[in-house]
Amino acid sequence: MAARLALGALGVLAGLYGAVRLLQTGTDNVTAALWWVAGGVVVHDGLLAPVVVVLTVLALRVLPAAARPWTAAAAVVVGTVTVTAIPVLGRFGARPDNPTLLPRDYVRNWLIVVALVVVGTALLALVRTARERRVSPGPSTGRPPRGR
Amino acid sequence: MRTAPPRESDFTSRLRSPAVASRVGVALGVCFALAFVTGVVSHWAQAQTWWIPYPTAPAWGYRVTQGLHTLSGIACIPLLLVKLWTVFPRLFQAMARPTTRTGLLQLLERASIAVLVAAAIFQLVTGLANAAQWYPWGFGFIVTHYAMAWVAIGALLVHVAVKLPVIRAALGADVESGALDRPGTAPRSAGLTRRGLLTTTWVAAVVAVLASAGNTVTPLRRVSGLAVRDGEGPQGVPVNKSAESAGVTETARDPGFRFAVVGADRTVELSRAELEAMPQTSATLPIACVEGWSASGEWSGVRVRDLLDLAGVPAGTDVAVQSLQQGGVYTRTTLQGSFADHPDTLLALRLNGEDLDIDHGFPCRVIAPNRPGVLQTKWVRSIEVQA
Repeated sequence: MAARLALGALGVLAGLYGAVRLLQTGTDNVTAALWWVAGGVVVHDGLLAPVVVVLTVLALRVLPAAARPWTAAAAVVVGTVTVTAIPVLGRFGARPDNPTLLPRDYVRNWLIVVALVVVGTALLALVRTARERRVSPGPSTGRPPRGR
Repeated sequence: MRTAPPRESDFTSRLRSPAVASRVGVALGVCFALAFVTGVVSHWAQAQTWWIPYPTAPAWGYRVTQGLHTLSGIACIPLLLVKLWTVFPRLFQAMARPTTRTGLLQLLERASIAVLVAAAIFQLVTGLANAAQWYPWGFGFIVTHYAMAWVAIGALLVHVAVKLPVIRAALGADVESGALDRPGTAPRSAGLTRRGLLTTTWVAAVVAVLASAGNTVTPLRRVSGLAVRDGEGPQGVPVNKSAESAGVTETARDPGFRFAVVGADRTVELSRAELEAMPQTSATLPIACVEGWSASGEWSGVRVRDLLDLAGVPAGTDVAVQSLQQGGVYTRTTLQGSFADHPDTLLALRLNGEDLDIDHGFPCRVIAPNRPGVLQTKWVRSIEVQA
């Protein structure tokens, strides 16, 4: 309990230090920053998370049981990696005077990443299903993959 | 169909469990701590006055810490998204009245989580956009990202302190154990197992890192299709700020250009030809940017120490480096005495066997070991003893 209290106190101190540093950047800067601080939570909790819930419900209705775990795995990888790629996909920071910044065809490369993940997951699914059939002949049990 | 907000009990997935959240949380905590520490190192390197001098060795130090900073941040994005997904039902948790002790504690904990989530998302979004030089906001990136880093790490420590018993219990039990699950959690999974989700999450983080690691890890350049740089540029080195955007295309090409070393009692002015006539030194040093990309180059030019000797500047003196660039945070920077005296710290005239490209700082630029790229001042006009 003492360790937890010390950890919590250290956290409060670090957080307050950050708050003071933020306030020292001036009212205009703090106001501009707070829109983005709050905006991130609103976009995640109010938009992204509900959309994922709806997509999950739809996927559960459409997909056969055997395909669900693999589809979920591919969707998690593609979805989260795509979020990391938003700035390069939009090329928002590109500048005509600096061709060394954002030099690639990011849409093409993103499609390659998506294709690799989808094909990789499908191959893994086929291998696992074949192996399970060999172990227990009969119709597919639709068992989710066993991670290691 | 009900139109009221969902209740915590409406979420029945086996995957939204402390067993998963704590495991992803450990990885996320490690990546956040790594990003925090390397970020503090970067601010230390960019300071203009030092309590503790920033070291000149190893030459590749900043390349590694800043590469780790951006890559651990990238890894945090899939980890945070999965983590938030696993705990999303908690957002709809029934609250006790805030006038009771339980209610007050609940309220405090939720407030600390709100700060943590807000600060974490803010750090990852602003860091990610900054790496692609995208600034869609009205605040100063450097000061705000730094202040919010302390808020995020503080809220993270509080969160770990509050959750420690749950974390320990979860990590001590099998991942499929239901001991810590919310009431109503499904006994079987409709899709992925918990182990499957964890494996998937690690794969997502690794894919995200590999897709941009080529920014700094040279052998991965061909693999990292989503990297903001491909390692190419004039003379084989990418450019962060072009001569055009710095507004120096005229002044840097002016044939009457004179570089000046300003000592306490004398000033020495040198043309580029005179600099070329001085003893030349070569050094293989990286340009390592705060945005996380880096590239190594073979630089040659005059040792800064030799130039300071011409103006009688004693060893160990901090000096100011002034650029031709007008305006901007980095047009005048401090070169710590230990860097100015380092034998590899050059006023570079050539890069990879050619005269410096104007976008790399022609007619002359500073290059020193273990320094952030923004402090490797280009289009150097003068090096001066500080008043």
